[in-house]
This record gives sequence, structure tokens and C-alpha cells, in this order.
Amino acid sequence: MTSSRARLSRRESLTGYAFVAPNLVLLTVFVLVPLVWAVVISFQQTNGFGAGRFIGLDNYARLATDPVFWRSTANTVLFTVIVTPVSMALGLGIAVLLNSVLPARGVFRSIMIVPMAISGVATALIGVLVFDQDTGILDKLLRSIGLPAVNWQSGGTAAFASVLLVTLWWRVGFNMLIYLAGLQAINLELYEAARLDGASGWQRFRYLTVPLVGPSSFFLLILNVVYSFQVFDIVFVMTGGGPENATSVLVTYAYDNGFVTGDQGYAAAIGMFLLALTLLFTLIRWRTSRTRDLVE
Amino acid sequence: MELDRRHFLTAAGALTLPAVLAGCGFAPSSSGPAASGTDTLSFTTWGTDAELAGFRTAIAAFEKANAGSKVALNAVPYAQMFTNIDAQLQAGNPPDIFRVPYYTFGSYAGRGQLLDLSPKLPSGFSDRFTPQAWAAVQNKGKPFGVPHHTDTTVILYNKALLTKAGVTDIPTSLDQAWTWQQFENVAQQLRKSLPADRYPFAYNWQGNGVTRWLSWLFEVDGRFLAEDLVTPAIDSDAGRKAVDFTKSFFANKLVPQNSSVKSTKLAADLWYAQTTAMNFGGAFLIPDAATSLDFEWGATYSPRNVRSASDFGGNALVATAKTKNPDLAAKFLDFMTGAEQMKGFCEGASLLPTRRDLSKDGITFKVRPELSPVFLGQASTVLPRDSGQVASPSMSKIITVLKDQLEQAFVGGQDTATTLKGISDGIAQATAS
Repeated sequence: MTSSRARLSRRESLTGYAFVAPNLVLLTVFVLVPLVWAVVISFQQTNGFGAGRFIGLDNYARLATDPVFWRSTANTVLFTVIVTPVSMALGLGIAVLLNSVLPARGVFRSIMIVPMAISGVATALIGVLVFDQDTGILDKLLRSIGLPAVNWQSGGTAAFASVLLVTLWWRVGFNMLIYLAGLQAINLELYEAARLDGASGWQRFRYLTVPLVGPSSFFLLILNVVYSFQVFDIVFVMTGGGPENATSVLVTYAYDNGFVTGDQGYAAAIGMFLLALTLLFTLIRWRTSRTRDLVE
Repeated sequence: MELDRRHFLTAAGALTLPAVLAGCGFAPSSSGPAASGTDTLSFTTWGTDAELAGFRTAIAAFEKANAGSKVALNAVPYAQMFTNIDAQLQAGNPPDIFRVPYYTFGSYAGRGQLLDLSPKLPSGFSDRFTPQAWAAVQNKGKPFGVPHHTDTTVILYNKALLTKAGVTDIPTSLDQAWTWQQFENVAQQLRKSLPADRYPFAYNWQGNGVTRWLSWLFEVDGRFLAEDLVTPAIDSDAGRKAVDFTKSFFANKLVPQNSSVKSTKLAADLWYAQTTAMNFGGAFLIPDAATSLDFEWGATYSPRNVRSASDFGGNALVATAKTKNPDLAAKFLDFMTGAEQMKGFCEGASLLPTRRDLSKDGITFKVRPELSPVFLGQASTVLPRDSGQVASPSMSKIITVLKDQLEQAFVGGQDTATTLKGISDGIAQATAS
């Protein structure tokens, strides 16, 4: 009886392992092995081909004194700090608007979601057409209404702004979609009660909507931060990291080192730094998440 | 054995796994051009439609001339070409033959990735090429590829815009090419005639094209590497002249500010859009320009200083060190640089030959044939000592150094002395590693 139960239990375990095996294999092959490999390469000097030469922490020491690396880090952090709250705020604002009784709201929702269906590279190419400082639509528009044209491609701040604007255009629709789902799960009686208590429109938004879409905000915060740390395609196509590294971010800088210069050891060290940065954020998120659970 | 639902699902999962992995490219595939018999060569290249048509014609002729031999052409987009080649070389399954620009040739040859052709090629083989072309495929005195074609930079100009600015005396022979001073005067004349958002010219030094900046250095008889091809030689009077002159293009608004070396905007696109009146560009632009531009345009020689110079553009064909059929690979490279094949390829794709006889007798482009002598004349100004430096194994790192420092000089306001020191230090680091 006991041995039969044990055999059944073992069989169930084996079946369970069989089900998770494909995912585990894929995770190991495409995530864990490359990750460990990248750690190993980050301690090597490589010339693009063949085995590298172990040089200890030299690549990491080089990071500390590389001004382009620090510029890229600062740009990545600035990009994250701007894109995350702005795309969430705009997403929430538009979601609230499109959750109300608005004529043709289905059309507006679709228009907002369309950028999500476009690849990053295609989005960036559209961005080039808009922000080209010689033939772009935006500068032509500015000139036509008597405003001075902006050097979107040769001015550092303007180039960074152009990357931010295109990213926001791309990301706001996704933020809106998640918030819209969150808003539709809120019981309308709460708003009715607040209205009866004399709460103004702003008060209902501030003290009801914002806290009640908390889980959506939490989810979006994580996604937006991780996305921003990993931004590559839009920067690569629109500005290539220029002018004068004004838009260089960690992933474009790692790409340049790994695939243009052939210095894969140094590129892997940059990747490890990015991993550490992401882990640090995850740790902070995990701590604040636990605290919030306790408060609730 | 009883087949229950669990057994069935377990077995199905096990059976599906290899298919999933194969779909991800993890398991080896038995089909595709990589599969090769003893008399089959795999050849990876990118190319314009005209270039690929030229390759297909030449391959058909090779297969006809060598019964039983096959060449599997694998045409890939340029953007993926070298990421793929590098990955294949690292994984140990590269193609037998691939096409490579001269400025990255050295990084493959210098790291043992290419086949040393010296024991495979017939004696006197090098005599068929111009000295500058043969110098561009050497590594430590041995040939690791064949110079398949070249291209070089001349000035393409918008006739109406130059006429409007009063620039009518345009050089028609190499010895009459504008001097730097004359070229600057022409550019200033255009500056006065054009509106503020239009510019006299743009230079094609964006991205890896930064090696074309070296033409300015060569024109004042400068070098960036000493004769040992290791020691930096750019911190010189010639280097100062080249940096000062090219910096002045941006300071004097002779070129668009978004046409610096790290810009994603290509010089040709600025000219196509008539943002610039003149464009420094290669012959490969001719077919597109001839069909798509709705303004009249011509071509003249690049400016000269102490001497005329130009970039040794274009591509070599190389065999990989691990090819299973080195003899057939060498035979193919020999065939592709035969007079008939090279002439047909270059005329069809608007590119320049690397053979002595064709360079001397000339070729005639199928499109805008009257421009052929301008490009051939300009190409003759490349010296072996210029193209030999660009074949350095450290060139990919030197390119990064040039891009970083020239960007700072052109649009970042960095002074010439700091720029030259930065390039010199960067070259020293690149050649030492």
C-alpha cells in the first residue's frame, strides 16, 4: 500500500518535472548559460575571436575611469527617471479620459494602442522622419508658424529630448491599456459614495482612483524601469548615441564595444554593471513591496 | 503498457522539445547553403541588386568553367553581415568565402581567421593588381585575400546650385583639381548664395566611413601609423593641418551640423534632399542617383594639397582559415579577379577595378558612363602606403578612436592639439592590445 503510494508520488513528481522541463531547458540555455558566460568573459581581454585572456578585474577598473561609460550611465538613469513617471502619468490621464463617457472612445483607444503594435526600430524610423532637422516634419511646422527650428540631431539636449518624445509616444499606449484595465475593475459605487460626501472631481481622482489603481501602477513601475534600463533600438536608430555621446546609454555603449570595436570583455563588464543596477532596483522594489503589504 | 493521459503528455513533451529547440536554432539544421560537399563553396556577401547580379553571373561562369564545382551564394543584409560572420567564426562554422571591406580586413587577417593565400596562388598573381590594391590585402607580408574591387570619393555637385552661386570653373582633370584654398573659396561662395538652412557640402565620414577623413591627412602627405604600422604618427604638422581644416567646415557652417562623424544622417541623403550643394561620395551612388534625382548633377575630383589622395574604398574577397576546400577557394578567388569577371562586375555595379590592366585601359559604367574617368582618375591617387595603413589589424579599434576624437573636435569644440593627442594615445593603445 505504502510502496504503491510512494510509486504514485514519484510518478507525479516525474510528470511535474516533464512539464517544466521545456521551460527549464530554454531558461538554462538562453538565460543562465549566457549569463554565466558573460560573467566569465567580463574578466577577460578579448579580441573578438577565440579564447580570451584572463585579466582579473581590469575591465571593471577601466569602467571607473571611462568618461563615456559614466556619461552613458547618467543618460540611462536620466532616461529612466523621466520616461517612467511621465509615461505612467500620461497613461493614467488618458485612461481616465477614455474610461469616461466619451464619444468614439473605441477609436481613441485604438489610436493610443497602435504604437504598441509597431516594432522599436520602425518606431525609431518614424521618429527620424519627424525629427530630421533638415527635412523633418516638426521643424517645418515650427518654421511655418514663425518659431525657430530646433537642432534635433546636432544639439545634445534636443537630441535627448527627441529620443524621450518618441519613447513616450511608443510607451504611453501600453501604460494607458494597463490603467484602463485597472480602472474598469473599480466598483463605481465608491465614486457615487464619494460624490454624495461632496468630494470634488480632483479629490475623487486623487483619493480614489490613484490608490485603487495601485497594483497597476506597481506593475507598470517595474516594467517601465526595466524597459528604460534596457533601451537600445530607439537610440541606436535615431541618434546612434550622438551627438558627442549626449544620447549614449549603457546598452548602446556595450553594443559599440562588443560588436564594433570587438572588445567583448569590456562589453560584458558593462552588461554586468547593468545587471547589478537592475538587481539593486529589484531589491529596493522588493523591500518597498513588503513594507506596503504590511501597511495594507 | 497502459497509455494514460500523463504518459501521453510526458511523451509528447519529450518529443516536442527537440522540435522547439530546432525552431530556436539550437539544434543543427541539415538544410541551407551552409551544407557543403567537397566541391561546394559557401560564399556569404551583402550587396546592391546590381552587385548581387554581378556575383551570380560570375558564379555561373565559375561553375561552368569548373565542372562539378558549386558555389552557394548566401546574400545577407549589410546590417547583419559582420555580426553573423563574427558569430560563425567564433562558433567554428564560417562560410568558405566572404566579402569584407578593406578597413576591417586587417582585424580578421591579423587574428588568424583568414586563409593565407601565398602557397595557393599562381606565381606572379600579385602583378595583375595595382600596388595599392595588393597592399590592402596584406598582413605581415602575406596575402590573406584578393582585392575584388575598389571605390573612391569624388565631389558630386548640384549643377544649378553651383551656377547660381557663380561657381562655373569646375575641374575637369586630376591635375586641375581644386586646391584646399580654392575649395574653401568655392564653399564660401556657396555659403553666401545659399539660405541658412542649406549648406555648401557634406563629407561622407559618418560611421565607419570615418576612415575617409584620412584622405585629408594623406593630401598633406601625413600618416596615422608609422612605417612599422604600430607606432602612431598622426601628432604631426600634417595632422594639425588636416584637423584644423576639417574643423573649420563646422565652425564656418560649410557643412550641416548634423553631418559629423557620429551622425546617423548620411552625407548622400543630405545631398539627395538638396540640403547640400556638393557631396563627397563614391561611384556606388551613381545608379541610385541617376534614377532618383530630379536635378542635374556632375562629378569632379576631390581637393588636393601637397598631393592628391583618396580613400581606398571597396571590398576584398577572403577565404576563411577553416575552409574545408582551400584549393577550390583559392581557385574561386583567382577566377573572380580575372579580367573578364572584374570588368563585368565593376561596369554593372558602378565600381572600380583593382587590376592594373583595367585601371589603365579604363572601364565604362553602364549608368552615367561619362563619369567613369573621374572616378578612375581619383582612384589612381591612392598610394600603397595609404592603403597599407588602413589594412592594420587594429583598424576596428582605431576607427572607434577616430570617431570619438573627431566628433569632439567637430561639434564639441575640442582644440586641435587635444584631438591629435587623443587620437595618438588611442592608436597606441589599440596597436598595443
